[in-house]
Formats: sequence, structure tokens, C-alpha cells
Amino acid sequence: MIELAGLSYRMIRIDSLTIPPGITSVIGPNGSGKTTLLRLCSGIAVPENGMIHIDGKTPRETDVGWVNEFPDKNILFSRVSDEIASALRFSHVPCDETDRAVKTIARQMNITHLLDRTIKELSGGEKVLVALASALVQHPKILVLDEYDSHLDETRCLQIEELIRTSGVPYVIRCTQQMETASRGDLLLVMEDGKVTLSGNPARVFASLVQTPFYPMSWRCRI
Amino acid sequence: MRLQLNGARAFRGDWSLEAEGAFGEGIHLVSGNVGSGKSTLAQMLAGLLSPSHGTIGREGIRSSMISLQFPEYHVTGSTVAEECRSWGLDPVPVLSELNLMEKQDRAPLMLSRGELKRLHLACVLAKNYDLLLLDEPFSSLDAREKERICGLISQRTSGITVLFTHEQTTFPRVDYLWEIQQGMLIERGELPGALHDWTHAPVLIKRLMASGKNLKNISPLDLQEATCRT
Repeated sequence: MIELAGLSYRMIRIDSLTIPPGITSVIGPNGSGKTTLLRLCSGIAVPENGMIHIDGKTPRETDVGWVNEFPDKNILFSRVSDEIASALRFSHVPCDETDRAVKTIARQMNITHLLDRTIKELSGGEKVLVALASALVQHPKILVLDEYDSHLDETRCLQIEELIRTSGVPYVIRCTQQMETASRGDLLLVMEDGKVTLSGNPARVFASLVQTPFYPMSWRCRI
Repeated sequence: MRLQLNGARAFRGDWSLEAEGAFGEGIHLVSGNVGSGKSTLAQMLAGLLSPSHGTIGREGIRSSMISLQFPEYHVTGSTVAEECRSWGLDPVPVLSELNLMEKQDRAPLMLSRGELKRLHLACVLAKNYDLLLLDEPFSSLDAREKERICGLISQRTSGITVLFTHEQTTFPRVDYLWEIQQGMLIERGELPGALHDWTHAPVLIKRLMASGKNLKNISPLDLQEATCRT
């Protein structure tokens, strides 16, 4: 379980929250604190007060995969294959094992054709895919995705979701502005003004949002 | 007013894009898979990228603007207020409308991503350009903001507007549909007829059409009206 208690950091205030294994989606208006919560869960930011524990350990003691919505911010290397290999190389994983892992994740994500390209040659969506591959290649305990889906086509989003589901990553926390994506998660959190105002399975949470633009259009159209 | 592409081609290694056709006045939507060349096409239409082969002709277009996929690429001001001024705008009405007055002295890159995108789009949409190119305009925007921006785009009654997007459910009123497939720009035509040929249509729109719903257009209101009609 991921447990948050007495948490405060900048605008974030969370008294108590438990996140079970599975895919958790975070939605809410712009500026409500979604990315800040994700940064706390990934260990990029550390709480001013309170705690976050992932199966009893802090995020910084946990293997974390992080994908930023603006991938340029996190990309370190100029060649795609080097970028995907970076986490394994930093962990001193043997070269042949690293090469195999890079090829495997590239094949699973259908991006083998990008491996020899430079980052500069990639489209925005392709950069997101490379960032995702770099996060997944290390088999993290928690995968944190900050609106990764806003630069991907729907077919690719569904493929990636399936890959994440079968990858064995215990915890996935993603914020999204696609309500159809949020409706497919296991747990849905709604944030407003730094607080989690609603939490539960998507059907239950969205039932409270029927009168808002946050209600999935496919449910509104009963399709 | 017209933007004419005559066999315009772009190359990058073994990847290429070829575009033929004319963009006239109205709202155009271009869809395609990740890496198909939407942003490349947007940059060619904006004149930021010269085609390796072919030509792009502009008739009657006196002003143009491109909104790039990542709003970070546009930032030139060191504060939010300066960023507004860099677009020739008075920050007070712009930031009041966006509820960002309290953050006017912050560095733009310290805003949340959604706030930065809202600021950027407010600056872009404050002026009426003959040619407006919007590359992923809805990314980072919350559901309420997407609807508001769609409303603003739909209100453009003159000029050429071209949207490049992966958005799944929230669209403005669209006049013409285009797709990029296997390195070629394909003109699907005018809505609603073009919807039947839309290969990259979002699942929701495909399902509505498969269930016999008669879509007049793809704005949220059109989707809901089609749902209510038997």
C-alpha cells in the first residue's frame, strides 16, 4: 500500500490517504496540485510535514519510474537507445543485459525504429514514448506518469495501458486530462486546491461529477 | 484566403511526409498517429520549415501564428506579466481573466503546466490572425478549459484555422478533416460527410456512428445532441 498521512507541502494538504496496488488516476482543474502530488509520490519533492510510504519505505528508498509531460525536461542523452539504457547503466547493470533490456522494451512498445535516432529527430509523442520506455526498462516499483497521454493517439494510449498492466509494476499513479483514460483506472482521485476531495473507484467518483465537464463524454453519450 | 500545398515534401532520415491540397477559410482538423508528421506539417504551413521538394503558396494571408506543441518553447518573458507584454498585451485584463493576477511576478516556467498553457493560448487567441496553426492546443488543459478554448476557436468566423491534435472527446466545431497516413496528407473533406472516412476518429465518435447516430459535427454539444436523437 501507498500511505500518505499528515502530509503538507506547498499547497498540498492530505490528512490521510491509502492507495492500493493498481492504476490510480488523478484528475482536477489546472493548478489544483496534481503534478505536485505526483512529484511527492516519486520522491522528486519531499514533504514539509507528514509522510509518504510505499510498502513501508519512502519514495526515495523505492525504485521509481517518472515520466514528465514535457519530456525534454528529463531527457539526458542525445541518442534514443542511450536514453532508454540510462537508468540501467547508472545502476551498473552489465552491458549485455542492458542491451537486451533496451531491445525488449523497445519491441514491446513498438519503437524499435527509433532506437538509432537522435532525440532531436523525434516528434513530441515519440519523446513521451522514449521517456516511458526509459521508466519501464528498470521495472520500477512505482511508475508515475504526468499527463503522458496528452501527446499520444488513442490507439497508442490503449497499447501502452495494456503493456503497463502486464508489466508487473505494482503501483501506477498517473494524472490525466482525458476522462476516458481516468475511467479505465482502478482508483480515481479528484484534487482541488491541493486537497483530495474525492477518492474511490471511477464509477463511484464520476457519479459525483455528472454535472461537470469532468464527467467522461462516452458515459454522457452512454456509449 | 488560401494556403496551397503543391507536392510539398519533408524528409528526416528514412522518414518522409508529402502534402498536396489547399487549406481555405474555416476550421481544419488534422489527425494522425504519433510520429506521422503533424508537427512537421504545422511548421511547414507556418513557414518555419521549408519543404525539401514542392512549394507552399499563400494567397491573401497577411498575418499568421503557430502555437507549438509545448508552450515552454514560446516563453520569452522572465515573469508572467512580462510574458503577456512580450505578446503586446496589457497583462491586467489577460491575467484577471485567467485568475493568474497573484502569480504575475512569477517566472512563467514556475506556473503549473496547465496554467502555462492557458496563459500561452490566451496570448495567441487575443489577436485575430489570418492563419492560425494550433499544435496540440488542448494538452495540459483541464476539461473546463478545453471546452472554453473550443468555444473561442469555434467563434473564429474568418481566416484559416488548422488544429493538429490527439484529443479524444473535446473538439471545436470543425469544417474540414485531414489525416496523415503512411507519409501522405489526405484530404477527407467537409464535415459531416468526411466523418465516415475518418480513419483516426476517436473511439467515442466511431462508436456513435456505428450505432447509427447522425453526427452533424464533433463539438461536445453535437455529440450530446446526436446521442439524444433516436
